[in-house]
Amino acid sequence: MTTASSARVDASRGRARRPVWWPSAGVLRGGMLGGVATAAGIALTATSGWLIVRAAEQPVVLTLLTAIVAVRAFGIARPVFRYWERLVSHDAALASLAEQRTAAYAGLVPLTPARLGRRRRSDVLTGVVEDLTDVVDAQVRVTVPVVASAVGGLLAIALTARLSPAVGLVLAGLALAVAAISLLALRLESSSLDTLLAARAEVTRVSELATGSATELRAVRGWSTAMGWLDDAHADLARSSSRQSAGRALAAGLFLVAVAAAVVLTAGIVAASALPGPVKALLLLTPVALADAITPLADAMRALARAQGSAARIAALLGQAPAVRGRPSRGGRRRGMGGTGRAGRPAAPHIEVRGVTASWDDGPDQLGPVDLDLAPGSRVAVVGPNGSGKSTLLAVLGRHLDPRAGRVLWDGADVIDLPLEQTRAEVALVDDEPHVFATTLRGNLLVAAPSATDSDLHEALDRAGLADLVAALPDGLDARLGGCDRALSGGERARLAIARALVSGRPVLLLDEPVAHLDLPTAQAVLGDLMRAEVGDHGRTIVLVTHQPEGLELFDRVVRLDRPGSRGE
Amino acid sequence: MRPFDLRLLRAAPVLRPALAGLATLGVLSGIATVATAFALSAVVVAVVTGTALAGPVLWLGVLFALRAALAATTEVVMARAGVVASTAMRSALLRRLGTLPAERRPERGAAVTLATSGSTAIEPYAARFLPALVTAATVPALVVAALVVVDWPSALVVASTLPLLPLFAALIGRATAQSTERRWAALAALSGHFLDVVRGLPTLVAYGRAERQVGPVREVSTRHRHATVRTLRLAFLSSAALELLATISVAIVAVLVGLRLAGGSMTLGPALTAILLAPEAYWPIRRVGTEFHAAADGTAALDDVLTALDEGRGAAVADETLQQPAAPAAPTAPTARDLTVEARGLCYRHPGASADVLSGLDISAAPGLTVVTGPSGVGKSTLLELLAGLRAPTGGAVCAPAAHLLTQRPFLAAGTVRDVLTIGHPASDEALWEALRRVRLDGVVAGLPGGLAAPLGDDGFGLSAGQRQRLALARAWLSPEPLLLLDEPTAHLDGPAAETAHELLTELAERRIVVAVTHRPELVALADAQVRLARPVASPASRPTRALGGLA
Repeated sequence: MTTASSARVDASRGRARRPVWWPSAGVLRGGMLGGVATAAGIALTATSGWLIVRAAEQPVVLTLLTAIVAVRAFGIARPVFRYWERLVSHDAALASLAEQRTAAYAGLVPLTPARLGRRRRSDVLTGVVEDLTDVVDAQVRVTVPVVASAVGGLLAIALTARLSPAVGLVLAGLALAVAAISLLALRLESSSLDTLLAARAEVTRVSELATGSATELRAVRGWSTAMGWLDDAHADLARSSSRQSAGRALAAGLFLVAVAAAVVLTAGIVAASALPGPVKALLLLTPVALADAITPLADAMRALARAQGSAARIAALLGQAPAVRGRPSRGGRRRGMGGTGRAGRPAAPHIEVRGVTASWDDGPDQLGPVDLDLAPGSRVAVVGPNGSGKSTLLAVLGRHLDPRAGRVLWDGADVIDLPLEQTRAEVALVDDEPHVFATTLRGNLLVAAPSATDSDLHEALDRAGLADLVAALPDGLDARLGGCDRALSGGERARLAIARALVSGRPVLLLDEPVAHLDLPTAQAVLGDLMRAEVGDHGRTIVLVTHQPEGLELFDRVVRLDRPGSRGE
Repeated sequence: MRPFDLRLLRAAPVLRPALAGLATLGVLSGIATVATAFALSAVVVAVVTGTALAGPVLWLGVLFALRAALAATTEVVMARAGVVASTAMRSALLRRLGTLPAERRPERGAAVTLATSGSTAIEPYAARFLPALVTAATVPALVVAALVVVDWPSALVVASTLPLLPLFAALIGRATAQSTERRWAALAALSGHFLDVVRGLPTLVAYGRAERQVGPVREVSTRHRHATVRTLRLAFLSSAALELLATISVAIVAVLVGLRLAGGSMTLGPALTAILLAPEAYWPIRRVGTEFHAAADGTAALDDVLTALDEGRGAAVADETLQQPAAPAAPTAPTARDLTVEARGLCYRHPGASADVLSGLDISAAPGLTVVTGPSGVGKSTLLELLAGLRAPTGGAVCAPAAHLLTQRPFLAAGTVRDVLTIGHPASDEALWEALRRVRLDGVVAGLPGGLAAPLGDDGFGLSAGQRQRLALARAWLSPEPLLLLDEPTAHLDGPAAETAHELLTELAERRIVVAVTHRPELVALADAQVRLARPVASPASRPTRALGGLA
């Protein structure tokens, strides 16, 4: 790990140590403004009570004027300050969202892809984006209401305490009770959140399984069994949701009970006091008005529980050490190793894998030991049961994961001693989750080769079997893809990723189950087109990892891996 | 969007009790709130005038306790309604998808979205928005009715200002609709940028472009911040305007009440009650506004799900028979229908394709082994799916008994070996071991920790391709269906394993109709009949006979 990337990771760790509700200056300002709005609301109810009771004593109307002005001012102040608060706190929260997004992105770069999990990396990354939103949401949905309630409540307590210390004491007791109930609500919510999220994840898994494998399931008459899994998952979801709602119900009920107790106590104290009637009404209505300041706390505790979970997930992800040693990518440097092959493309290095073992985590080996000799231009398929380390091998070859033992030599030199950026620049990797950026077709290809000409792009698209698609797109290379624009099918996405790899001109092409999610005819067509395009172009080394046995005849050599520690079939 | 979609109740009748419960709770809470205003003003009057306090305080306490119970119950019922709504819709959706022929099913990605996040988005709509709607429809009416009794001029003020709230909301909404829509679209694009770049990180890192995006991420996030605040300002402003409107209305009530109080034409009790009641009429309507935005996603998702349900309605009828749990396929007394497979003039065209993959195909098969051969891409797998009833022919007809189809990539669930083998039908452990013996997998399974209870991952984690295929063959052997369809059943098996499998198939063919797609000459040699599929030739005159069916 280098100093630059370690500093970044430490920075993200430092950020994670702070509680999620910790306010930025802007959010604190928003909370204060919210406190004024809350206090205005409480004052509105209390002074209205004073005014009505005073009016009933039929004084000279002029003596009511101050109170009338005050009521009017409070009535207008509440929405105005609420509006101001929302603007200020949302702006501050969005500023911190921008900052946290940038930091999280920079923190993710050295961890990608090896530390994002083995499969479904795009789900992991989507989770990061959602978790970040939840964390920043806590500023608006937790910090602001809590600060506002505290400020408004303390103002109310201080003012009532001046009129009647006993009532002030009751209200202080109410505040303490509310704080205790809030903490209880947070605990209950946090404790039920994990099981609820797990239940939701299971529902999603079963739904994806059923929709994705509907034909295969029905073919073996397993559909009703799958629907049974769905029903089980749903029952589980209902159970954990009702457990969560029990906690919420308790908190919601207790808040009202606390307010009731405060109102009854205040009534007793005020009735026995010698205060003037209007002041009695004011004091009596204050705890009732406080209920409005308390209500938002229930939602705030839910948001807090969720944000704490999100923050913990982000911290766990960003707190990992990168999986590769070596100089970090600094951009700008292009490859300069080896000679040049035909068409100006650098020749593929001779790669030797010697006794390599590797693992994605600290657990037992997930690969090898394995030996593999890849002469320039080799076309090798790596097969083996799941868990035999095929993708691990590919990650080692692509310099996304360091070997645990053994060595990988490029033209005789240990890759660990070569600059990371240079070795990675020799390798194009296509995985089973090809990403289509929400930009033009050209933009999607230029990611891999910023200086490629249009004819380079057309050639790559042609060889990846996308010529028909390009012809059909109204704007050709300028057609927008991804997002809500033209949606590509799974086969087209795989082909686009292959076109990207081809246009990069990198001499080593690693394919990690690129067609695993495609239906069989499409999978065979995509692979067949790729290998046909490469016929007679023997400069490029191609390594395909697959757990499905189709298309192996297209390769020069098939390497079979076994699970580490097993004796095979 | 439709604020209240009755189709939801029709599609998910199980939701009715929960929604009815929420509506009842909403009305009861409204009544309790109104009663609290009366009790509270009685307490204040008692305290101010020094009359007996115990009665009113007791009432107030009871009412608060009631409201606490109602609030707690509402939380529970709300959560239940949300879960019932989303699970009922998801369940209906997936069950419908399961009865549709393959070509009528929506694209996989769209179907997954509908079944997961789409169905979940219905939760806030059912649990929060619909009850808020009920409360908004009933509680203000209750308050006005109570005010009529207490103080009719206040009732008049509230009744005449209440309609202004939805009116103003609609006016503000209409006036700003265009700019709001434009801004939300811009906003979605800006916030989508971060998701896009983050999801694309593996690609960016692979091509050494990731670090370069840090600047753009910061820049776009900052633009997102400014655009969001501009958009939110409008939303906040309109909600502040509504709150101000409500406050002014309450103030009018207060002024009228205060003047009459000071003039001596009104007593304290009704005056306080009116002042405490008036605000309760306005907040339910404002709450609908707040929940409206949260529920908008839900209604859009609900619309998509309901549309998908409607679309599947017609197509599923013919298929329902196939989905009935395989009638304990009485192998002892096969009916005449169980004994033959007939297809006449069978045509099939993939959706969006320009030519038929199968056209005018006639085949028939009786108990015995029928092999289907032909070059790849000629429609062999499609033919099997048609015979299994998983696709609906575009022309002609298929008459076939219940079938078990072993696909090229057989489905092996995550679970134990036993789960994988019994997915369609229950079977005793003896039968399972017998099946494993038939495919010579008994040794491998016996060696696994736990034997039949050994866990396998998704897609048969830890098994080689050949072992997975043999496991699927064992499952086919166990299945009771009279028709067995096999797509390249021995493609990935080496010599001895393939021989075992071929023996197994011939044995199965003694009792059942076995139709196998294969490239293996050994298996073709064992067949009782052969169907050769050829690529259709452009000129109809020179088209060769596409198929030779039936028993040889």
